[in-house]
Amino acid sequence: MLELTDDRRLSLTQLVSAWLAQHREDRSAAEPPVEVREVEVLRAGRPGLLDVIAEAEGRAVHAVLGVRRLGEETQSLGTTDDPVLGLFEDDEGLGMVVDALHDAELAPLVLAAVTGDDTPVTGVTPVADTDEGVVLAFAERCTLTVFPRLFDGLHPGVELLVALDEAGFNHLAAPVALWRRGGRDLGVVQELLAGSAGGWALALTSLRDLYASGGLPEEAGGDFGPEGRALGTMTARMHLALDRSFGRRSEDVTERVDSVERIVVAADPALLDAPGVGEAFEALRAANLHGPVLHTHGDFHLGRTARTDQGWVVADCMPGGVPPGATDVVFRSPLADVADMLWSLHHVASVAASERDPTGRSGLAALAQGWEARNRRAFLSGYLATPGIGGLVPTDRETVGKLAAVFELERAAARIMQLGAG
Amino acid sequence: MSAPAVPIGPRDGPFDPSVRWFQHAVFYEVLIRGFYDANDDGTGDLKGLREKLDYLQWLGIDCLWLLPFYPSPFRDGGYDISDFFNVHPDYGTLGDLVGLLEDAHRRGIRVIADLVMNHTSDQHPWFIESRSSRTNPKADWYTWNDDDQRWPEARVVFTDVERSNWTWDDTRQQYYWHRFYSHQPDLNYDIPEVADTMVDLVRFWLDLGFDGFRLDAVPYLYQRDGTAGEHLPETHTYIRRIRKQLEADYPGRILMAEANGWPADVADYFGDGDECHLCFHFPLMPRLFMAVRREQRYPITEILSQTPEIPEGCQWAIFLRNHDELTLEQVSDEERDYLFSEYAKDPRMKRHMGIGRRLAPLLDGDRRLAELLYALLLSLPGSPVIYYGDELLMGDNIYLGDRDSVRTPMQWSPDRNGGFSRADFAQLYLPPLMDPVYGYSAVNVEAQRRNPGSFLHWLRGMLVERRSLPVLGVGAFEVLDCPNPSVLAYVRSGDVVDVAVRATGETTLTVPAGIEGFQEAEPRSQAVLCVHNLSRFAQPAELMLGRWAGSTPLEVLGRVPFPVIGEDPYTITLGPYGYLWFDLVEPSHMPGVDGL
Repeated sequence: MLELTDDRRLSLTQLVSAWLAQHREDRSAAEPPVEVREVEVLRAGRPGLLDVIAEAEGRAVHAVLGVRRLGEETQSLGTTDDPVLGLFEDDEGLGMVVDALHDAELAPLVLAAVTGDDTPVTGVTPVADTDEGVVLAFAERCTLTVFPRLFDGLHPGVELLVALDEAGFNHLAAPVALWRRGGRDLGVVQELLAGSAGGWALALTSLRDLYASGGLPEEAGGDFGPEGRALGTMTARMHLALDRSFGRRSEDVTERVDSVERIVVAADPALLDAPGVGEAFEALRAANLHGPVLHTHGDFHLGRTARTDQGWVVADCMPGGVPPGATDVVFRSPLADVADMLWSLHHVASVAASERDPTGRSGLAALAQGWEARNRRAFLSGYLATPGIGGLVPTDRETVGKLAAVFELERAAARIMQLGAG
Repeated sequence: MSAPAVPIGPRDGPFDPSVRWFQHAVFYEVLIRGFYDANDDGTGDLKGLREKLDYLQWLGIDCLWLLPFYPSPFRDGGYDISDFFNVHPDYGTLGDLVGLLEDAHRRGIRVIADLVMNHTSDQHPWFIESRSSRTNPKADWYTWNDDDQRWPEARVVFTDVERSNWTWDDTRQQYYWHRFYSHQPDLNYDIPEVADTMVDLVRFWLDLGFDGFRLDAVPYLYQRDGTAGEHLPETHTYIRRIRKQLEADYPGRILMAEANGWPADVADYFGDGDECHLCFHFPLMPRLFMAVRREQRYPITEILSQTPEIPEGCQWAIFLRNHDELTLEQVSDEERDYLFSEYAKDPRMKRHMGIGRRLAPLLDGDRRLAELLYALLLSLPGSPVIYYGDELLMGDNIYLGDRDSVRTPMQWSPDRNGGFSRADFAQLYLPPLMDPVYGYSAVNVEAQRRNPGSFLHWLRGMLVERRSLPVLGVGAFEVLDCPNPSVLAYVRSGDVVDVAVRATGETTLTVPAGIEGFQEAEPRSQAVLCVHNLSRFAQPAELMLGRWAGSTPLEVLGRVPFPVIGEDPYTITLGPYGYLWFDLVEPSHMPGVDGL
């Protein structure tokens, strides 16, 4: 146990402030006040590990600090040039404090503390470093995700991950160890997805080939169609598992459509003038449907998926059913996740075209549209052909298309709002 | 380290049967009819092949696989045999064959024969006798039935030309059983005389000097009610019987199974190491082509992940193309459609359930792609089999019938008939290729041997490098994680020993540890990293090589040391369709470390 004296509390407050500053995009902004709430010694001695929870910016933040001997060399992981945050004095004397998750030597010690397994690991690779989580891959073993921002209670992403795993959904990196304290999720250890490549990277591979060869996407060598179909199947299986885990509710589709329309108007009323949008809204209102809503993935796009030798997987469950812009789990039609993926297919085609041809002179837009249309069809066809999915989405394909379009519009509106806020 | 001066294999002395030579060998599949015509009659022959052994030795292959050379009416490229114990007169005599075997062995080249055990030609005397009545001595040497309804579960292999596995015979007034063409009746292995005769056949050819057999269509030897008539236990029992003969009387000789199936099923033909020494890995081949078209590794890694471990002392045989169509039996319907659309744009390119094209035209003549595929072939687990002419990137003729599209004469020179034969053009068994792209005036051995930058020289160099890295033959295989889906990276690793060669005294060769004769030598571990870019664009590969931290990746072809491996991800840049092989050399083994 670490006795938290006033001096130590002050030091830790400064260290967490320095840690926060390293993680903020806008480093010129005023530093928010920080109040240290909990300190847990994960590893005593040198190097030592302190797990600190503090209050900052109105919510709990979570820093894993390493305490090294003064003057020790550190090997930085990822983009942080210098993981050193300052000094701290504990029972071992004065030590140099670093961000343990950006220190190549200390990161494996964090893993050992979380799993209780001291087996040495080598080869740490930083995978992601965002507000959602710091993700480290340990060669041939596992990944460790540590949450820098904590939820009150369990992390919805971890809940989603565990629920899917328990429901027998095997298209994911199974949880190996949960890091929980005081009713909060601090992190999670998952099995490593051997041989995986991100869904976004795979789509780019296909698009590069099409943009180089021209013609129809199905005639290009790197056709994504079969992958899109398999991705659709995997998505449907995810929804069936979520239905088994969290159950379902019913929703008045008309009310949902009205709500989306309000969001779209707030973001950009011109979106409603796009071809087919008005008709879709009217048709759905006229149909007077009620449909099941679920605990969905929440932010389901190519970047959250990966391809492995065993097929497609959900590589990232961390949205946990909380859509972008929301703060809690929202029960939605599974077609909202579907719409996210369709939007992602559009997005990747556009991004790849603009990267290859920023001036637009090469006419890649037409190829992009062809690619997008083919893979939307493939994805939907894989999704709708999955046994059991008929109980979760309308059986008639036209209604599915209209509903997915409405959710996609909502996604676009949310993106506009997000960009506007940024 | 002092190295024992002992012979190390076929190139250095008499064959050592204790060495599992086939696990390291590069096989060369040759169509005698199409290789070289020594007697000017328009058909390749054994003397012609014998004359070209110097070329094959120069190329660096280890074992010749002779396609059927037996008397045959040639309705299926010689796989319809009318006399198992002789040589087709077009090819020469038994004496010519023995001469070929002796000369090949003198050059350190082994020779295996295609053994068609499942069926004969309908012109074979056994069948002629069998069909003549229901009571003759060979009446049951084939399977006869009064109707064509038995064994409905058995699939028809050539669905495009055969409707049933039963064909009516007017003479005997019964149906006979055949799994392939109706002119190829299946032998009935339930008759002991048949099974015994075929064992005698094996002994006959081994006594003449063959080093083994490629067993054609081996899964179909037996039929049983209620089964598909493939991979039956009785078939395995019979293969074990043959293997036992080899172990007892012909050590070092091999059996190579042609069993077109999924790896998990085909692996049964290894038995517990007591059936075939090698089995062809059929599903890998179409997936190599699929991977380079899709520019992603998953078609390859998926099938490899479904490939089981095989018993010690066994090996897969892997290939890019062979004498048959590029078979698409072991792919899904969707994948077959994809491969047809990508590689057989002209319907004439389709053959049975596959594509009748050679390697180079399949790749639109892209040499970079050919090099990439060969780099994969030579480094993936298995012994590579090269089809004659593919070392030149020869083309095909899709206008020829059946599988003759890929069986045109070998192109030796820009001279008349491509240097294959001095016969009149009209006498040739098939016309040589004469088109401006793949014709013999553009693609031939003579020109490529003169040009050090040719594909032929490149491949020869790769075979030399492969020989220097024995882990590519039997080493463990491990696919490495790479976030870039267009990159396929793997490590082949195992223990090896460095030995001096008696013939030269100073040359050091590296051989696998533990083989007979080298147990005293101190082994060292060898790891070879193979990285391949399946994309037409340059690609980065970020690999976790922490296990080899401290080692230096020594690029195999140029012996260029790359930066030492550390704990951080190791980044390699590959050009379009690029490949790099690295010997991961531990610091103590780096050249120059000891000042020498």
